[in-house]
Amino acid sequence: MHRRRFLTLTTGLLGAPSVLRAAEDDTLKLRALYAKDGGFSDLARDLEGKGLTVEGYMAPPLKADSTFFVLTKIPMSVCPFCETEAEWPDDILAVYTRRVYKVAPFNRRINVSGTLSLGSYRDPDTGFLSLVRIEQARYSYA
Amino acid sequence: MTGHAQKLEVSSLTVTGDGGRRLLCVDSLTIAAGSAVVVRGPSGAGKSTFLYALAGMIAPETGQIRWGETDIAPLPEPARAAFRRRNMGFVFQEHLVFEELSAPENAAIAALYSGRADRGRIRDRAAAELARLGLDGVGTRRSDTFSGGERQRIAVARALAGGPGIILADEPTASLDRDNADRLARDLVTLARTEGRTLIAVSHDPALHERADRLIDIVDGRLLEAADG
Amino acid sequence: MDEIYHALPNWAQDVLVTLGLLTPLLVVGLIVLRGFHVGPLLLGLLRRQVWISAVFTALIAVSVALGTGLIAQERGLRQGTARAADKFDLVIAAPGSEITAMLAAVYLQPSDLPLLDGATYAEIAAHPRVSLVAPLGFGDSWRDAPVVGTTAGFVDHLSEGLAAGRPFTAEDEAIAGARVALEIGDSFAPAHGVGDAAEHGAHGDFAYRVVGKMPMTGSPWDRALMVPIESVWSVHGLANGHGPDWDGDIGPPFSPAHFPGTPAALVRAESLGATYSLQAEFSTAQTMAFFPGSVLARLHALMGDIRQVMSVLAVITQVLVTAGVLAGLMMLTRLLARRLALLRALGAPRRFVFALTWSYAATLILTGAAIGLLLGIAASFAIAAAITARTDIVVAATLGWPEIHLVAGFVSLTGLLALLPAYLTMTRPVITDLRG
Ligand SMILES: Nc1ncnc2c1ncn2[C@@H]1O[C@H](COP(=O)(O)OP(=O)(O)O)[C@@H](O)[C@H]1O
Ligand SMILES: [Mg+2]
Repeated sequence: MHRRRFLTLTTGLLGAPSVLRAAEDDTLKLRALYAKDGGFSDLARDLEGKGLTVEGYMAPPLKADSTFFVLTKIPMSVCPFCETEAEWPDDILAVYTRRVYKVAPFNRRINVSGTLSLGSYRDPDTGFLSLVRIEQARYSYA
Repeated sequence: MTGHAQKLEVSSLTVTGDGGRRLLCVDSLTIAAGSAVVVRGPSGAGKSTFLYALAGMIAPETGQIRWGETDIAPLPEPARAAFRRRNMGFVFQEHLVFEELSAPENAAIAALYSGRADRGRIRDRAAAELARLGLDGVGTRRSDTFSGGERQRIAVARALAGGPGIILADEPTASLDRDNADRLARDLVTLARTEGRTLIAVSHDPALHERADRLIDIVDGRLLEAADG
Repeated sequence: MDEIYHALPNWAQDVLVTLGLLTPLLVVGLIVLRGFHVGPLLLGLLRRQVWISAVFTALIAVSVALGTGLIAQERGLRQGTARAADKFDLVIAAPGSEITAMLAAVYLQPSDLPLLDGATYAEIAAHPRVSLVAPLGFGDSWRDAPVVGTTAGFVDHLSEGLAAGRPFTAEDEAIAGARVALEIGDSFAPAHGVGDAAEHGAHGDFAYRVVGKMPMTGSPWDRALMVPIESVWSVHGLANGHGPDWDGDIGPPFSPAHFPGTPAALVRAESLGATYSLQAEFSTAQTMAFFPGSVLARLHALMGDIRQVMSVLAVITQVLVTAGVLAGLMMLTRLLARRLALLRALGAPRRFVFALTWSYAATLILTGAAIGLLLGIAASFAIAAAITARTDIVVAATLGWPEIHLVAGFVSLTGLLALLPAYLTMTRPVITDLRG
């Protein structure tokens, strides 16, 4: 508990804007990982290879019974007005879970914990490229 | 752990059965250590009840059963069982052996529930007693392949395997034919005497009566000393 | 604690959970059996009561098999159906039921779908973020094999390279799925419709020639014949998708004005984000775009819920059967009462008799559970084979950790329950039992 507060404090001092942090503990917002120009943020570079928790929404899965899903910053909704093509794919995060996961409703906020991995990676199964990933992940409802 | 022969002193003993029926009433009885005593009496007189009480298998209502220094009457069941395990060998009327086990396994049954330190000794002694009773070299045959006489000898070996100072036998020859009964009666008394054990046997068998140091009659749950005691 | 657990690899977590579930049994076993050597009498007991023991064990085994088979089967089905849908990222069809469209496009179930028109198809094909689009034209068949009109690009995507032969290049050429009873060089005439309603000869004397063979995909497409979409349109007397200035090469591009329609189109996008945005973009009044994986995941969730209810029933069955067996055991120990009393008369501690009866019950439970686990897997093998034979979806039955956890939990729980009959035998009066 103390350790946790200490971590939050030091990362705060290191310059990560504290507004990017969730109200309590060290859950990150998705956009904290991206810089304005679409690249990785400094925080993301700091956390590369380390454990972290990111909050977001599970996009409807492309595959059933898989260990891969896409985390989005807002619900990947059936609302055709709030999603413009331009926003894709900068605010999404590829999540590789350690076990076959249960699909969460697209409008439930979830916290994904795992190891941050940066750099381009082409999934051998789906053929899709990703730049930022959380690996060895598990999720819980926020 | 070999027990030595122990003197028995019984006083004001009463045993009550289901429904408050008085089954046994012994005012006073003393049996010297190392003696061979035979108990007789009509069927239903309370002979088995007497023996079970001496063995601590039933708790008496009142009185004392003092084996050597220990009064087992007030002891709780586990303590009486432990006393029995250390000091007594019991032979039943029917050859009650575990049919699926071999003769050596049956004779050394106490090894299964005794401390690790005693197991080897129990097995060795069981083998020796089987040999003494003429049952050596029977291998691992199941006990239900043995005759009644042989099974009763296995039971005797079992009673002796713990090296007890007290041997109690309830009509041990009753289910045997004449020859086997004679042989068992002789063996029991000799085995008890050679190592100075106290033997108390319930029996109608003259072969045992002849060899006894003392005869006790029970009628209606009361003891009467026999004339030739 | 939590963090250490989450730092472990999956297998270590599973082993740990198994051990955790078995711990109560192990602890109880160690305490109950400490200092005793019940082996010979236990074997004697089992031999003496061999039939009763066998029946009790079988009852436990069957009830455990029910529970484990259910879990293994559901997982096999999930994996099999998911694998069969692997190649179908995004399907666009005319608005209607996603499930019907998925069953038709992915699992080739006969169904009556409305058509996407040429303009819509052209719009999809022209979209900059689309890397592959292919029409899927169902409706014809040969014997029990569906004949699907599509493009060579789709066949390549689905098969990741043919097992033999070459792609189709003319309207009368066809590619056969791995399990179709046609070889390269064989000819077949398509029938209009599928199954008993198929009209043979409806397409005149048109015949296809097989020029290539697909590798196994573990999906219903193994039983399908893939032909140029142009030929499907042609044999139905429609335009063949190309205008008057057609150069004669089959496949895209198609002319919107001469495009008779397709019940569904498979779409593959250049990236993950593109896949999602295409789905959003083509969810319109004229088109329905969906991820078969998502639809399947919803069905799986439903299946999982049903399985959970059935699992609860299976667990109740297991517990009831075990309770019955333990009750039977109590009656059995009455039969054994004389032998147990004899042991106590000889001076055996009460705890020894307790240990003997408990280890007897534990032996039946452990043996029954182990047999039940194997039986459950065997049963799900049989069911998996039947499902594969019927649907061509390869369903594999395997022994997984959830089954092992279920059995470990069951064994521990019932092992603890077995303390009760063991306790009851311990408290029986020695002399009453001995006198018989
Ligand atoms: N638990 C009991 N309750 C009531 N009566 C009993 C009980 N056990 C034995 N009896 C009765 O006590 C009497 C003495 O029994 P027992 O000692 O077996 O006689 P014996 O061995 O001399 O033939 C018998 O009448 C028998 O029926
Ligand atoms: Mg009697």
